[in-house]
Amino acid sequence: MTDNSSPRIDVRALSLSYGKVEVLQSLSLPIERGKITVLAGPNGCGKSTLLRAIRRLHKPTAGGIFLEEVDISRLGDKALARQIGLLAQSPSAPEDMTVEELVRLGRYPHQSMLQPWSPDDASALESAMAGTGVSALRHRRLGSLSGGQLQRVWIAMVLAQQTNVVCLDEPVNHLDMAHQLDCLDLVRQLKNAFGRTVVLVLHDLNLAARYADHLVFLRDGAIAAAGTPEALMTEENIARVFDVEARVITDPVHNRPLCIPINTIRP
Amino acid sequence: MTEMLPTAAKHRSAMSLGAIVAVFGVLSLSTVAFGSTWIPFDQIVGVILGAGEKTQRIIVLQLRLPRVVMAILAGGGMAVAGFLLQKITRNSLASPGVLGVIDGAALGVVIFLALLSNESNALVTSIAYQPVAATIGAFLAITLVFMLSGRQASSAIRLLLFGIAVAAVAKALTVIFMLIGPIYRATQAQRWLAGAVNEVNWGEIQVTAIAILPIMVLALLAARRLPPADLDETSARSVGLNLPVFRILIFALAAALTALSVAFVGAVGFIGLMAPHLARLLVGRNVYAGIIASFLLGAIFLVGADMIVRVLFAPLEVPAGTVTAIIGAPYFLFLLMGKQRNDG
Repeated sequence: MTDNSSPRIDVRALSLSYGKVEVLQSLSLPIERGKITVLAGPNGCGKSTLLRAIRRLHKPTAGGIFLEEVDISRLGDKALARQIGLLAQSPSAPEDMTVEELVRLGRYPHQSMLQPWSPDDASALESAMAGTGVSALRHRRLGSLSGGQLQRVWIAMVLAQQTNVVCLDEPVNHLDMAHQLDCLDLVRQLKNAFGRTVVLVLHDLNLAARYADHLVFLRDGAIAAAGTPEALMTEENIARVFDVEARVITDPVHNRPLCIPINTIRP
Repeated sequence: MTEMLPTAAKHRSAMSLGAIVAVFGVLSLSTVAFGSTWIPFDQIVGVILGAGEKTQRIIVLQLRLPRVVMAILAGGGMAVAGFLLQKITRNSLASPGVLGVIDGAALGVVIFLALLSNESNALVTSIAYQPVAATIGAFLAITLVFMLSGRQASSAIRLLLFGIAVAAVAKALTVIFMLIGPIYRATQAQRWLAGAVNEVNWGEIQVTAIAILPIMVLALLAARRLPPADLDETSARSVGLNLPVFRILIFALAAALTALSVAFVGAVGFIGLMAPHLARLLVGRNVYAGIIASFLLGAIFLVGADMIVRVLFAPLEVPAGTVTAIIGAPYFLFLLMGKQRNDG
C-alpha cells in the first residue's frame, strides 16, 4: 500500500515528439492524489499532449509515467482503462446511440469474455448517471441533446469507468457560461464526493484559478511554473508565460486570484 | 423518434429478426421449388432427408440446391464483411466493394485463371486454390488502401477515397489480364466478374463452407469488442480498446470473408453495402443481432437476385450480380445524398 502523501501519478523526465518535432522536453511533474490539477498555457505549449501521454495515448521518446510507482507502459489496455479515464477534447459517438448505451461503454474495461454485464456494472452505470444528473435522459438519443446535456453524458461515461484518475481535455470548450460552471462544479464533485484525482486542461485562466488545487503553467513543452493558484497567478508569470500584460486582483466572491488582461506583449 | 423504451426497442429488434428469418426460409425453399418443374416444399424437405424419386433427387440435389446454398454462403459472407467494415470505419458507405476488396479478389482470380489454365481451357491445378488466389488479391488490396491512408487510417473518408482508387487500378489490371489472355479464358473470367451462382457444384460449396465458417466464428468472437469502436479513436482507446490493432484484425477478417464469398460466385457487388445498412435499420445497435441479420439479409439478397434472373431471363443464364448492381448502385447514391444532407 502506498501512503497518502505520495503522488498518484508521477511524470518523470518525460520527452515526447511528433516525428522530428519535440513537443515535451524532459518534463517532470508529480500529480497529487485527490486533488484537481489544472494544466494551462498558450496554444501549442504541449498541455494536451501531456494529458494524452498520461493516458498513454502518445508514446514517450524518453522518460515515463508512473502510476502508484508502476510504469504505465507495462499495464494492459483494460487494466490501464480501469485506472485512468480520459474525456477527449471533442469526443464523438453515433447520433442514434442512446444516453444509456454510451454510458454503458464506460464499463467496457471491467468486462470480459468470462465476466459479461454484472450487478457491479449496473450499479456503476446508475450512480454515474445519477451523479451527473442524466438519469432522466437515459433513453434519449444523443442527437437530440443540447451541448450542455451531451457534455454531462460524456462525463457520466468517464465516471462509469470508475477510475481513480480522471483526465479531461478542455471540457468546457463550446459551452455557455452556465454550462461551464455546471460542468466544472461536476468535476469538483468527482474530487469531493468520489475522491478522484482530476487532471484538467483549461484555457480560461480565471476558471482555472477558481477550480484548481494545483495549477501548472506550461510553455514550449516545459513547465514554466507550478503551484497553488494564489502563488502562480501573478502579473509577472502571466506576462512571462502568456505574453500578456495583465492586472491580477482577488476575486471578491471566491477569494481566488482574478486576471484582467490588458494587452499583448510580444517580444 | 428520439425516445424509445429499451423493452420496446428489444421487442422490435426481436420481431424484425424473426421476420428476416421467416423471409429467408420461405425464399430459400421457394427458389429450390421454382423452376421448369414446380416441386412442392414437403417433397423438397423429403429429398433433403433422403426420400423422393430419382429425377426429383437430381433436380433438387444437383441443380437447384447447390445454387441456393452457395448464394446463402456468399451473400451472407459479403454482408458480414460489410457489417464489420461499416462498424470499424463508423461509416455506412464502407463496404468490401467501395474499399477495393472485391476488385482485389477479382484481380487475384483473373490472374489465377489466366496463368494456370492450359490450352484446352482446363485448370492445371485444383479449383480449390481459387479462394486462395482471391484471398491474396483481397489482402493485397486492403493492405494497399491501409498503407496509402497512412497515419490517417482512422479517417473513414480517406480510406474510402483510397479504396475507390485501388479498386479502379485493380479493375484496369483485370481488364488487361483478360485482354492479353486467350479469348476463352476472357469469357470465363467475364462470367466470374459479373458474379453468378449457376454452375456451382458441391465441391466448391464444401471448400467455401469449410473456409468461411471458422471466420464467421472469429467475427462473432470479435463482436464482443466492437461496441467501443462506435466512438472516436481517443474515446475508444481510453475505455481500453486498442483500436489501432483491433482495426487491423477487423479489416483482415472482412477481407478474408469477402474473398472466400466471391471466390467461386464472382464479384457480386453492393450486397456488402446494402445488407448491413438495412440490418442496422431493422434490428438496431446490438452487434450480435446485427451480424446475424446482416448474414441473413445478404443471403436473401443473393438468393433473391438469382431467383429474379431465373424468372426474368430463363432460359438465358444472366449473372445474379447484374441485379444486385442495378438495385445497389442507386441505393449507394441514396446513402451518399443522405450523408451530404447531414454534413451540410
